[in-house]
Amino acid sequence: MNVDELLRGDAAEIAAAARRGAVGVAALVQASLARIGATDARVNAFTDVTAQRALQTAAALDARLAVGDTTAHALPLLGVPFAVKNLFDIAGLTTLVGSKIERDRPAATHDALLVARLQAAGAVLVGALNMDEYAYGFTTENSHEGACHNPHDLSRIAGGSSGGSAAAIAAAQVPITLGSDTNGSIRVPASLCGIFGLKPTYGRLPRHGSYPFVASLDHLGPFARSARDLALVYDALQGFDARDPACVARPIEATADTLAFGVRGLRIATLGGYFAEHAGPDARAAVARVAQALDATRVVELPEVARARAAAFVISNAEGGALHLPDLRTRADDFDPLSRDRFLAGALLPAAWVQRAQCVRRWFALRAAELFGEVDVLLAPATPVVAPTIGTDWLEINGRRLPARPSLGLLTQPISCIGLPVCAVPVWGVHAALPIGVQVIAAPWREDLALRVAHRLQMLGVAAAPVAAL
Amino acid sequence: MTPAQIEAYVDAAAAALQLPLSPAHRPGVLSYFAMAADMAALVGAQTLTMADDPAEAFVPIAPAGPART
Repeated sequence: MNVDELLRGDAAEIAAAARRGAVGVAALVQASLARIGATDARVNAFTDVTAQRALQTAAALDARLAVGDTTAHALPLLGVPFAVKNLFDIAGLTTLVGSKIERDRPAATHDALLVARLQAAGAVLVGALNMDEYAYGFTTENSHEGACHNPHDLSRIAGGSSGGSAAAIAAAQVPITLGSDTNGSIRVPASLCGIFGLKPTYGRLPRHGSYPFVASLDHLGPFARSARDLALVYDALQGFDARDPACVARPIEATADTLAFGVRGLRIATLGGYFAEHAGPDARAAVARVAQALDATRVVELPEVARARAAAFVISNAEGGALHLPDLRTRADDFDPLSRDRFLAGALLPAAWVQRAQCVRRWFALRAAELFGEVDVLLAPATPVVAPTIGTDWLEINGRRLPARPSLGLLTQPISCIGLPVCAVPVWGVHAALPIGVQVIAAPWREDLALRVAHRLQMLGVAAAPVAAL
Repeated sequence: MTPAQIEAYVDAAAAALQLPLSPAHRPGVLSYFAMAADMAALVGAQTLTMADDPAEAFVPIAPAGPART
């Protein structure tokens, strides 16, 4: 297998090839950089390419391997190129957060903690990725950087706000990326680009060195071409860090070795009600296909899902607006027109609305905990529809005309509102040409179960993340 | 909230926060505020009791270094 073919596979294979000396780390990085160079004018996933740093890191790893460094040899992500949403700090680069405003800020002096952890696991950073401004969007139609294009159909959106993180994998530019998810920003682009994505439990992964959007709801997590890669990366990212006040002091609970346990004995059910009513035919068909493959015949409901989604909406709007109030006062015209008026409105929300939303959020979390007494894993569509065309303003979902940009998160928002771990798995074949994702949802701190189900679906051929024909 | 109530509230709150709303931005702000008001109405209609605490919980921060005995 040559290096370009390797780069189209998953990270576990790439690391194994580097470990047995079949390919050098420098060759892997050069292939990734060449692929970015050949495709990114069309995809627009990258906002910065850190070629010099990547080549230096690769050379250092190759030198360690050449002298028989057993520590380097054992690194789980040895030589795997990766990239991160441009809200993660990268030493020497200004953290753009998809904005024009941040371009004036000084460069970061250190890597974000999760970037450093991936590098410590042997992965090699090759750049920063396009996103919705300040993570407030589901489309990555960024007015400053240009829209990120879906590699499977360049006329369509990649989803957002971590659009570049999903598109870069679908385009085979890198096999793993990092993104963030406040209301669906990992799961929506994973669904639309046909990629696996993991939003861990709220409070699991430390956010130190990443730019916030809504501290109450922000999660960080990985994208990959396989559930196995998600587990490998997620395991490398785990570990408490007190610098993130939301990070919970839990031991590392490794998942990669649990994938082989399979799904036998797991109680798996499909979420009905709100989740069926707000999903289009393709989304419902994808869930049905996954449920059938898992022999999951039970349908259950969570109560008052629309209110939970509304709570997430209010909290996000208010916290996001408050965060950017100083810039909104003095330079509102420098915000992306697609997010500016929402931020301005959010800065004005009454405190009583936000406090009430936080109470509803906890009420809903208690109801979900009751449901998880009866089931282990829940299935739900990730997006109501497949990727819309860039510039789409309205969606038709089950006879209702809804604003496209906020509605892409209708099905993800209620779940992140209460911090549940979710693996988004890509399903093909229900739409003629495009993928759509299914959320595999577990109880808090049970990322292992979501990953086991995702892995089983991939082994069954029900979920897959093929490279786009660019 | 009625459209008139939203306009009055948005203008008053923006003034109090010293947040200028340009004529070009104001229609969009009113539209998004109305959307948030609809969401707040949904949230507000959920039956809760005094026992339904908010989701946020503050965690006290101990000083760095060894504890005094």
